Parts: sequence; C-alpha cells; structure tokens
Amino acid sequence: MSLEVQGLSVAVDDRIVLRDISLTIPQGELHIIMGPNGSGKSTLLASLMGLPYLKIISGRIYFDGRDITKLPPYERAKLGIALAHQNPPEVKGVKLREIARFMLEKYRCDDSAMFSKLLKIDPLLDRDLFLGFSGGEKKRAELFLSLLQSPRLAMLDEPDSGVDVESAEIIAHAIELLIHKKSSVILVTHTGLITNKLNRIDGVHLLIDGSIAYSGSPDEVLPVVFKFGYRRGVEILKGGKNG
Amino acid sequence: MVKYSLEEVEKALYKPSTYGPDVDLGLYTSDSAKTTEISGRDEIPVEARKAGERFGINVESAMYIQVDESALYRSLEKALGKYGVKIMPTRLALEKTDLGREVSWRLIDPRSDKYTASAFLHGGEVGYFIYVPRGVRVPVPIYTCLAITSNRRIQYAHNIVFVDEGAEAHVVTGCAVPHGVREGVHIGISEFYVSRNARLTFTMMHAWAEGMHIRPRTAVRVEEGGEYVSYYIIYSPVASLQTYPRVELSTGARAYLASIIAGSGNGIYDQGSAAILQGKNSSAEVVSRAVAGGYSEIYARGSIEAFEAESKGHIECLGLLISENALISSIPMITSRKPGAILTHEAAIGMIAEKEIQYLMSKGFTEDEAKSVLVKGFMSIKAPGIPLTVEREVERLLDIITRSALG
Repeated sequence: MSLEVQGLSVAVDDRIVLRDISLTIPQGELHIIMGPNGSGKSTLLASLMGLPYLKIISGRIYFDGRDITKLPPYERAKLGIALAHQNPPEVKGVKLREIARFMLEKYRCDDSAMFSKLLKIDPLLDRDLFLGFSGGEKKRAELFLSLLQSPRLAMLDEPDSGVDVESAEIIAHAIELLIHKKSSVILVTHTGLITNKLNRIDGVHLLIDGSIAYSGSPDEVLPVVFKFGYRRGVEILKGGKNG
Repeated sequence: MVKYSLEEVEKALYKPSTYGPDVDLGLYTSDSAKTTEISGRDEIPVEARKAGERFGINVESAMYIQVDESALYRSLEKALGKYGVKIMPTRLALEKTDLGREVSWRLIDPRSDKYTASAFLHGGEVGYFIYVPRGVRVPVPIYTCLAITSNRRIQYAHNIVFVDEGAEAHVVTGCAVPHGVREGVHIGISEFYVSRNARLTFTMMHAWAEGMHIRPRTAVRVEEGGEYVSYYIIYSPVASLQTYPRVELSTGARAYLASIIAGSGNGIYDQGSAAILQGKNSSAEVVSRAVAGGYSEIYARGSIEAFEAESKGHIECLGLLISENALISSIPMITSRKPGAILTHEAAIGMIAEKEIQYLMSKGFTEDEAKSVLVKGFMSIKAPGIPLTVEREVERLLDIITRSALG
C-alpha cells in the first residue's frame, strides 16, 4: 500500500479549493486524475507534496502507513514523493545543472545519464532554469528532475500540455519507465491525450469543483469523458452505475 | 603628472564627497610608505595571508602585496616576466618611468574631494603600477592584494594600470582586513588606461570589517576600439563604502561594469558605475545586484551619459531585500546629448520569490537551502571575458556570500 488520502479538505487564501478527497493509490500503480480547468487538480498534487501555500483544513495523508499530513515538502521528497510541476518557475542565474547536481547528491540516483539521454536534457543543463525553455523542454526538464529523485510516488501535473508530438512520446516513455521501476504514478491531465500512449492505467478519477466526482477503470471512464465531456460524462457514468 | 597648486589641493581636504557619509580623517593615522622587492614565498607577511584567506585568494600568487602602507612586489616574477609586464609600486614608477609620471593623477583630480586630496597630499604613492606592453596578451591573471592589519589607520593606495595598444590583461585585486581588525579607512585611487584595441578586465573583491570606511576613487580611459570589463564584489560588513568609478569611452570602445553588493550589519554601501560615451559606436553596460540584509543600506547608482550618436548604453540595477530592517535605493540615470544615442535602464527591487522557494522545497531543498540557491542565482552575473580561474574564484566567493548573507 502506498498512498492513502482520507477526507482531505484544503484552502488557498481562506478559500476552500478541495473538499473531502479520499483516494488510495497502491504501490506501482498508475492513476489518472482528470477534470476541467480550475477543478483543483494541481492543488491536490501540491497538497500531497505539502507545499506551504496551502492550508489543510481537515483530513489525513498517509504514505506507507505513515501520517505525513504535517511533514514539510523536503521531508516528503526524502520519503520518495516527487512532484513534476505544471508550470515550474523560471529562475534567472540558477542553472538546471546546479539543481540536478544537488538532487543527485541528495538522492544518489544511478540512472541520471540514461534519464538525461531519454529526455534529451543535455542541451538544457547549462541554461538558466526553465528560462526561455519551450513547452516541451520545460516538461522534459521537470520530469527529468522528478526522475532524479528515484521516486516511489511520482505526481505529474499535466506533463502532456503544450508539448509537441515528439516530446509527448518521450514523456510517455518516461512514465512507462517510472512504472517499470515500481514507482506509483499520479498523472494529472486536462486533455487526456497522453492516455492512449500509455500501456496500462490502473484507475481514473474525475475531479470536479474540488471533489472527486467519479472513480473507475479507464475503459469505463475515458470513452465517456472523451465523448461527453466532464460534467455530462459524470452524470452518465453515475446514472449507468445506479441503473 | 598634471600640476596642481598645493593650496588648491589643501583646500579640498575639507571638501566632503557628493555621496556617502562624511568621514573625519583626522581620527585616523597612517604609516610612512615603504617599498620592498621580494622574490621568494617566505617573505609574505602572515597578516597578508590571513587577509587573502577571507576571499580565498592565494596571496602567494600575488605580484603586488600591500600591508598598510608597506608595498611588497615581485618585479622579476617569471610567469609575467616573459610577457614583459612591468609591476612595481607606483612611487617607483614615478621615480623611474616617464610613463608613470605622465599618467599619474591625470584621470583623477586630487581636488575632487577630501579623500583624493588626502591621498595626494598624505599618501606615499604606494599602490601598484602595472604596464602591459603593446600587442601582448597576458592570459594569466595578475593578482594584487591589499590588507590593513592594525586599527584606526588610513591605508592609501594609488594604482595605475596601463594596457598598451592591442594588449590584453586581467587584473584581480583583493582588499581585506584579517579578522580582528575593526576600524580604519581605505582610500584607493585607481587610474586605468586601456589603449587602442586593448582589453582590460579588472576583478575586485572587498572583505572589510564593520568599522571600516572604504573610499575607492576609480577612473578609466578606454581608447578607440578598446574594451574594459570590471567586476566588483563586496560582501563584508563595513561602516561605509562610497565609490562611483567613471569610465570614459572613445570611438568604438566598450565597457561592461558589473557590481555585486551584499550588504550586512549596519553598513552603508553607496556604490555606482558611470560610463561616458564620448565616441561614436561606443557602448556601455552597467549591471548591479544588491542584496541587503541586517540593517544595511545600499544605494545602487548607475549613470550613462552619451555625447555621440550611434552610441549605446544600458543600466540594469536589481535589488533583493532579505531583511525587514534593510534598505535598497536604486538610482539609474541616463543622459543623452546627441540624437541617435540609445540609452535604456531597468531597475527592480524585490524579495526572494515564494513560488521559487516552494518549488525548490518540493525538490527536496530545505527552506534555507532553497533561499541560498536563489540568492546566489540572483547575484550571479556573467561578465564577458573574465578568465576561467577568476570566474571560479568569484563562484566560490558567491557561495561564501550567500552563506553569510542568509546567516
């Protein structure tokens, strides 16, 4: 058992953004979180990472049975939780190489050369962190840093948005690699485009207005969502279940 | 040497500087000047070594070392001797060379303020004189080191660098007090000549103490097609620092003037760079990074004045406040006297971005680690054409600065 979220409610600046989220991600599984813009997908991942701008109102987060609800992000990172941000900040004067070096020292990842090759990172290493990176470069570099953590739970926030076809393929390969290395993966996607590039998806959760509106298998959920959209899709899925 | 009447200069002894707090020089004494030629490594005084340790410069590689008013130099050092570079205390250059006499006190008027007047009248003309012959490119940095080793002294230095036509040199100067010295005044007069198509990079690192008043007075003349790059770093506490180096640029000459000011304690840091675009196609870039901690006050000035068309200048003053009690004031000034000159400036003061800290925390950095990476990144300025060895020293120094800035 890897991650268990129980009744999590989260506020940003006194506004409640997530309500009563419960979620279980068993070790080594790949789960997808989908939902319309502003439904709280990124906030959910950021809360699981423990970013300090979020305030946990109620609920608990367990990782391998340990209550991590109050742990700061770097402690969670140490336990093997990684977050690939949707929009990593551009930082002038700090080279990608410096951050990578720090993480290598901290996590002693043995496969950094392979990851770098897979994600085509070499030309980016001596550039200022994310500064002037293209969409695909940003996503690849951010995923690279997450891989350097040798994560046991990788949370990927829209790694497929705003990237070209080639980058999308590479990113899908990297996700497969994570699964191969027995990491659990939570993949947030808005468009869902990356889902048909992945071999195996263990669960799909639809997040609407800060709550999980529906959880199910990909074969059950994805066709309905792609055809009818999120809100109508949830109605149909729920109706199907009820009837 | 330009002749001034002594009366005129004496009058200037009471003239405060336009900027910075006024220092009563009467409270301090200075030794009489001494010069000694050294050859071996054993003759380097232990105080100078200790001062050098503060910024990680190996004093043993220094060609010129000044301890208080005592100048030690190596005129026959092999590494530089083969390039024909001449290094000696300025007072010897005034005695022995026509060039020394000709260029001394030509770019800086001793009547400018009490500090220049005092250096002219009471300084013993120690300081370094460096001559780089025509067409000679010296790849190895020329290290110099100035230290003050006892309390309540004034140290005077008059430095002259002359890079002859088509030549290139890299001068690195470290000025410091060893730990334990608290009070004093440092007045450094620097006159640099970059001849036609010549190139000079000048890296200066300052590590002083909380009771020190620092008054460098620097002027640089860059002739046609020449290039001057300066990289100034101050990171220690001071009582006050006030300096506003001025660079005059002829046709096609270029200047890149970078300063990193890490303020701490109760220090007042009034630091600027001024470029005067006198020739067509001359250009200047003034770049500064101010990080203010403790109760420090940083005044980051920059000025570019254009007298010719097709000249170009840009000022970038960025400040980072890391203490509730500190102050940064950024004063960029651009002046054009000719249509067709393009001058721009950019100034911003902020704090470390919370989003960036949180991002790094999610990558496993503690909050302090994240801040130090970001502050260091903020201060990192890549000056063009600084030798790699010097760049590494600067990098190391920035690590020290970041650690001490975030305390």
